[in-house]
Amino acid sequence: MAQTQQVQHELPNLVSLLADKIGRFTHLGEQIYLWENVIFSLIIVLIISLVAFLACRKPKMIPDRLQNAVEAVAGGLDDFICGILGAQGRKYTPFIGTLFIYILLMNLCGIIPFMKSPTSSWSTTLGLALCVFIYVQYTALREFGLWGYLDHMMGRPRGILAFSVFIPVMMFILHIVSELVRPISLSLRLRSNIWGDDLLLSVLSGMGAGGVPLLVFSTLLAILAALVQAVVFSLLTTIYFALVLTHEEEDKETRAN
Amino acid sequence: MDLLKLLSTNEIIAQVLGFLILLALLRVFAWKRILGLLDKRKERIALEFKRIEEAKADIERLRLEYDKKLASIDEAAKLKIDAALNEARAILEESRKNGYIQAQGIIDNAKQSVKYELAKAKDELKNEIIDLTLKATENLIQEKLTEEGDRRLVKDFLEGVDKL
Repeated sequence: MAQTQQVQHELPNLVSLLADKIGRFTHLGEQIYLWENVIFSLIIVLIISLVAFLACRKPKMIPDRLQNAVEAVAGGLDDFICGILGAQGRKYTPFIGTLFIYILLMNLCGIIPFMKSPTSSWSTTLGLALCVFIYVQYTALREFGLWGYLDHMMGRPRGILAFSVFIPVMMFILHIVSELVRPISLSLRLRSNIWGDDLLLSVLSGMGAGGVPLLVFSTLLAILAALVQAVVFSLLTTIYFALVLTHEEEDKETRAN
Repeated sequence: MDLLKLLSTNEIIAQVLGFLILLALLRVFAWKRILGLLDKRKERIALEFKRIEEAKADIERLRLEYDKKLASIDEAAKLKIDAALNEARAILEESRKNGYIQAQGIIDNAKQSVKYELAKAKDELKNEIIDLTLKATENLIQEKLTEEGDRRLVKDFLEGVDKL
């Protein structure tokens, strides 16, 4: 696979070390190496699930430390999402919130020694972007209905002669292309940034200036980038939902008028 | 096309499944509970705020009532003080009148007493003078006068005294 090219720029991690131990060119070693990103993703899934379980198994009105921290994150995300989507945003908070936490932890995973960011793989980010794409399209179809959705894709305003057929068809094609491009741009943006950060970490890991390892600075930068990229991905997801839901309100107003 | 070589269908499917499993777990065990709890807490806080606002409104209402009562008490106290002052003034006036009348009576009595005492003193003085005059006359002229002559002399003397 093309991932062999990536290996040269990455720091060793638990899975790659295990694959090397077993023998990279044996069948098992090759399989472990191929599923490297999925293994790290599953580790993150387990960690998040464990924390959620510990924090929420007996929720109390006066929370303990862990519950308090989880509530702060959940409340912050809910406020953030409802701030953009309005009151109906609560319906999408679990999806976008989970996405944010999952991506953030996967991004930060690369900073921990012997771990790797699964988001530095395009397959991971594309998988997440496809989830977003499908959920957004499903929401649009549910809100507009099939004909309403097609009508929405043809855009506004409509006019006479050429405007009644030509422009709506062109707008329809344009909208389809823009919708299809979204998951690609979303996933490539995240993947490339995190991959770049990991690359920088691996390159700077052996360097230093005046006795201070350059890794210190690039790690701080990587933490910031991990947070920013998670926010960007979640924010764009929220905006995609907002575009669909706002149009719904506008269409209802237009119909009412 | 080199970019497409980075993709692995199996990995994409596995990542989608991994995310969906996480989403399902968190949706049921975390988001629902946490958001429900946050809503409950928000409601509780809102209720507490409402109660505080109501309590504030009650306090404000009570304060206004208290102020009104205080104002009415002040008014009543003022009226009572005014009434008491008027009564006191009336009593004072009456006392003054009574005192004046009594004083006038005392003065009149005193005047009458003075007149009486004066008259009495005059009579005593007359008798004393008569006696003295008689003695003095007796001593002076060394002679026995008739009663008729005495009386005439005394009368003349007294008239002289009155003129003085």
